[in-house]
Amino acid sequence: MAKTYDYLFKLLLIGDSGVGKTSILFRFSEDAFNISFISTIGIDFKIRTIDLDGKKVKLQIWDTAGQERFRTITTAYYRGSMGIMLVYDVTNEKSFENIKNWIRNIEENASADVEKMILGNKCDLDAKRQVSKERGEQLAVEYQIKFVETSAKDSLNVEYAFYTLARDIKAKMEKKQEASNPPARSGAHQIKPNDPMRKPTSWLSRCSLL
Amino acid sequence: MAAQNKVESDSDQMPAAADPNAEQKERLIASVKKEVKQLMEEAVTRKFVHEDSGGVTALCGAVEACLGQGLRRRALGLFKTSSTTALLHKIAKHCPEAALVSARVLAAEGAPATRSASGVERRPSAPRPPLSKRGSGSLLSQSPPQSKYLWIRIALFERQLAKIIEHLVNNATRYYERDALVADPDYGSILSSLLVGPCALEYSKAKAPSCFWTDPPADELVQRHRMSAGTTTPPSVRRPILNFRRSLNASSDDSVSTNTGTGKTGGSTAKDYVESLHQNSTATLLYGKNNVRVQPKDTEEPMPGYLSLHQTAAGLVIKWTPNQLMNGYAESEGIDKSYRCHLVHASACQNTCILCSLAPVCTVYRRVCSGPLCIDCVYWAMSLQVCVWEVVYVHVHRSQASDALILVGQDGVQRPPIQFPKGGHLLSFLSNLETGLLPHGQLDPPLWSQRGTGKVFGRGKIRRRPMPSLCESGETEEAEWEEAAGDYVFRIVNNAITDREAMRRSLLERAVHSPPRTPRRPLASTSTTSSDSSTMSVDCPPSAGFNGHPPQILPPSVQYTEEVPPASIELVCSTMRRQIISRAFYGWLAYCRHLSTVRTHLSGLVHPNIVPREGTESGLTEELWRTMMDNKGVISDKEEVYRQVYYHGVQHEIRREVWPYLLGYYEFGSTAEERAEQDAACRRQYETTMSEWLCVEAIVRQRDREATAASIARLSEASGRPKPVENTEPCEVFEDDYSVISDNPPVVSPEPSENEQKRLDTKPVLSRAPSIDEVDNIELDSEEKEKEIKVNGETETGDNIDVDIDSLKDLDDDEEVHIKSVVENPDLRRESIAEIKRIAEDIVQKGDGRGLLCSVDSANVNINGSDLRSSLDENQPSSQQHTSVIITNPSVDLAPSGSPASGGNTANVSPARSPLGVVREESHSAGASFDMLEPTNDQRPETRSNCVSPASSNGGVYSNELVESFALNLHRIEKDVQRCDRNYPFFTDENLDKLRNIMCTFVWEHLDTGYMQGMCDLAAPLLVMMREEAVAHALFARLMERAKDNFPSGQAMDAHFADMRSLIQILDCELYELMHAHGDYTHFYFCYRWFLLDFKRELLYQDVFSAWELIWAARYVASEHMVLFIALALLETYRDVILANSMDFTDIIKFFNEMAERHDASAVLSLARDLVLQVQTLIENK
Repeated sequence: MAKTYDYLFKLLLIGDSGVGKTSILFRFSEDAFNISFISTIGIDFKIRTIDLDGKKVKLQIWDTAGQERFRTITTAYYRGSMGIMLVYDVTNEKSFENIKNWIRNIEENASADVEKMILGNKCDLDAKRQVSKERGEQLAVEYQIKFVETSAKDSLNVEYAFYTLARDIKAKMEKKQEASNPPARSGAHQIKPNDPMRKPTSWLSRCSLL
Repeated sequence: MAAQNKVESDSDQMPAAADPNAEQKERLIASVKKEVKQLMEEAVTRKFVHEDSGGVTALCGAVEACLGQGLRRRALGLFKTSSTTALLHKIAKHCPEAALVSARVLAAEGAPATRSASGVERRPSAPRPPLSKRGSGSLLSQSPPQSKYLWIRIALFERQLAKIIEHLVNNATRYYERDALVADPDYGSILSSLLVGPCALEYSKAKAPSCFWTDPPADELVQRHRMSAGTTTPPSVRRPILNFRRSLNASSDDSVSTNTGTGKTGGSTAKDYVESLHQNSTATLLYGKNNVRVQPKDTEEPMPGYLSLHQTAAGLVIKWTPNQLMNGYAESEGIDKSYRCHLVHASACQNTCILCSLAPVCTVYRRVCSGPLCIDCVYWAMSLQVCVWEVVYVHVHRSQASDALILVGQDGVQRPPIQFPKGGHLLSFLSNLETGLLPHGQLDPPLWSQRGTGKVFGRGKIRRRPMPSLCESGETEEAEWEEAAGDYVFRIVNNAITDREAMRRSLLERAVHSPPRTPRRPLASTSTTSSDSSTMSVDCPPSAGFNGHPPQILPPSVQYTEEVPPASIELVCSTMRRQIISRAFYGWLAYCRHLSTVRTHLSGLVHPNIVPREGTESGLTEELWRTMMDNKGVISDKEEVYRQVYYHGVQHEIRREVWPYLLGYYEFGSTAEERAEQDAACRRQYETTMSEWLCVEAIVRQRDREATAASIARLSEASGRPKPVENTEPCEVFEDDYSVISDNPPVVSPEPSENEQKRLDTKPVLSRAPSIDEVDNIELDSEEKEKEIKVNGETETGDNIDVDIDSLKDLDDDEEVHIKSVVENPDLRRESIAEIKRIAEDIVQKGDGRGLLCSVDSANVNINGSDLRSSLDENQPSSQQHTSVIITNPSVDLAPSGSPASGGNTANVSPARSPLGVVREESHSAGASFDMLEPTNDQRPETRSNCVSPASSNGGVYSNELVESFALNLHRIEKDVQRCDRNYPFFTDENLDKLRNIMCTFVWEHLDTGYMQGMCDLAAPLLVMMREEAVAHALFARLMERAKDNFPSGQAMDAHFADMRSLIQILDCELYELMHAHGDYTHFYFCYRWFLLDFKRELLYQDVFSAWELIWAARYVASEHMVLFIALALLETYRDVILANSMDFTDIIKFFNEMAERHDASAVLSLARDLVLQVQTLIENK
């Protein structure tokens, strides 16, 4: 059977409970938002296939329970994942502080070369903001991880975040492949499509990326 | 659609041609079939197919592969990578369809530059010319692997693909090698006609959710399953769940059932029939001869037809098919053509053939309809299919004109004579027959003699007439025999019976304690089909068609075996057979023993005694419940209650009464009064506990507010920092403060905190601490509260308040006792009281570092802590507040807790809201610990809660750890409560608050385990049912006794997974094997949520109620692990879907997550009960 995709990437969403992991995932996979999401129990995942530089990339995105009590289950899913989204809530300082713990958790459980990205979610709630964008950026610089502020509610940067992570994984993978079998052909012809952003101006103006 | 599926699935058994490419062709065509099937299913379930759908790409790939095979590239000068595209352009000259597509492709290929420039993002709303619209489908194809399919894609969307391929097939010699798939007369036309279906579909470019290219959702899988199940097995005949067949047995069983045909061509076998005339995987063609004449019953004269002899697993089968059918088949250029005919025909034909309507599959071959019975069906009725084992005698009548052969069955009925043309055909048929009968049977007398050099005919018995002696005449036999007329009779002898007997005997001799099949009995007895299959597995295959064989045949055959020289070989063979069988038997025995071990292990899961289900048809109805209750309100027959609930649930109206019993909150045998007392006590206890944590909550809130304010302040500092130099110093101080003790920056805090307070105050919670900020309107406030609570009482039950007052009266009577209880209650309190005393004194007197920080926090105004304004403002009204509360409403009991809590300004233990003056006062009284309570009580005798709360809040100078851990839990609880079942109308803000209180109370009581996600879900249905906080809390506590082990802190989940594994292993072998192939039971995460929440998220509320009752009652009736069986029932409900899609654990997780709340709960639950019964039976029979 012909495969319907060129790559399969397994991604993982982690972060404290209530930071909006499920909302981000739902926004990305169904392009919808629901205020009354229930807490995630156990584990769930959604699939979306995206078109990345002419390749069909199937993203299998795992959504985990936030409470650290459930880490025993979620860590089981760290191993196979190729990219991890660390999500915190800009209106909740604690969740931001915990990002460090989550990173430690990744270092302990995930494979060493896993791609990471930090998302500061709920950036639409500016009135309740507790964590400035600068602090997020600072943390990201500290750990050398890409960072973007998102809003699942306003559909801000969610697509961008997943595309970026997927592109990074793909680049890393192709690099590895090239290393293993000497240059079949140089990647000079790679077409870089426009960023699949819905509102490119808005994210540029409001949130930055590193 | 159905017919097409049929064609596809059946033509998998196409005859394997001799050439080496056959296998490859087969594979290619099979992949096309599969993709077509997928695509058609997608089209049916989704109503349309998206152009970018994975199915389209896959189909194009498969077609491309077919077209590429055997292409004469060199001869045609096609050297490009995509030579099929070049081929298309080449044939464009001759084929108008190809020309059209070719033009489109050229246009699409010419455009890519502009397209990529115009942006990747496709805008569906933007009107585009059809050409470029099509072309945009090729966007993906800019990458090398996709562009190959471009023309196929376009041809498909333009609906020309089938015609182009047909053109290619018709002119295959020009473009293809002779052995190419397209050039193959069968495969080529199959390919083109397979594509007719996909070419008729609607392809959409609409940007629907499906454009996210997700995998087929769960309900689509279920739907697809139903669809395909309709064509293969009728949906009503569900596969039995207890399925002990091992794969070996399963396959032999299947082949037996399909191949030991009834001798009559039923409509269902029509398709198989024609194909079975060729060599295929299940049958070997031994002999075939056309133009053999047979005179069927209703016909005037013999008709020519095709006679064939097949060796199948079940034995030899003789078939004869009239030429009309055979020729029709040949003329139609293969199945595909006839399939197409059928398509046309099915719509045009008005008359339904009687036979066809009975056997719908037959319609595939129906072409001409005339009268009640279509012609084909007449022919089908004429055709012959005889299982040789059913034949006892073969009569041969030879005359000058032709040789006739008559088969006489066991029942003595003669089949129509089969007339062979002259020329030794009969002889060769007979010789093939004899060869085919070996090794289990033979012709008696044998056709071939071993003695002579040549063939000897009819050595033995001659009936009726003496036959010319041919036997000894060696060389001339053929010619002479041909000329000679005469009759011969052969008997068909089957040795299989003797073989089997011998085998049985040997097995028994091997000192196997039990007869071979007995260990299997317990398994078989519980299943409907397995008994058959188990018999099969032990017996030799030929026995299937052979059971009624007359026993008197045995002696001669045995004798005969001994006589003939090859007996030694036969002996060797039979020894080998015995060994093989015994080895298989031992393997099977080991397997059974293993299963037996598993069963023993599982015996702990169910109760050994089966409780009968008689008289439970309506379940526990209100009527029944009332009759069971005596005049004192005593329910004593608990077994009956459990039994009724287990088998049929509780009537919804009385659930509220019954649930407390089921969860063990009410004792069976208790009177109504006792229960009322219990309720009151429970409520009292609940309120006490609540008052305790509410104080801590106040502290937590205060801190939160401060923290929030701090970060907001800092943010605003950071963002609006026009004069950074000036702000630096205070900012740093703030930061320090925040990090050390999150205290109140007074300038910023009041506003949000006040808002917060107001918001909270509007909530009709049992008790709530108003902040001192609102002291001014405290009277108004309390009045409002009173009203609110009254409203509450009215809208709800009203007994709430009554009981409150009752209990208060009780308490008033013996205050001493009450106070004691309050003080003694948590051990912690004494410590904390001591602690607060110490700390308060420390702070007030020494004004240590913390105090200093506090004073810094409490800001500009309040440096000394005894600021005039605040002490005036807050001290005075606070007493007012006390009184007002006392008078108005007891359940505002905690209202004053704000002030004592604020009194706890002592260090970072409690909020620094109130001035230190208050602190001093409070700590003063706290210094007397007990004494402090006394006077307050004296002052306000009616408000016991009022005294409790200051006590607890004073005593509530809780350790920092305690406050912090509660804060953590509180935040989690609030996060989860806020998003708990918001879709369910019950959960208004008011009821969410109740839920929150239940959670907090429980967590306060179990602070060591704390709140765990999922608890909300468990408490919610209880609250929905009981409506009342205190009772719901009590039930929840009972529920958690069992459920807490399921949470990560417990061990039950792993045990559940392991038990699931074992249950699946013994109850559904096939599913077990699939799962086992993907990983061990530690991967059973798809049922994690099921067990954690008792299926609360899997079912709708109404169904959750029934499921929970079942679980609770089952504990006493059938199994303490009912959840396992419900889980198993869920799994079994979809086992066919899971198996058909061979899902791995990932797929299963996704499937069940998507199927949540869409299950047929009553079916699942009753299946669960059946499964319990099955396991019980299994264990009983052991």
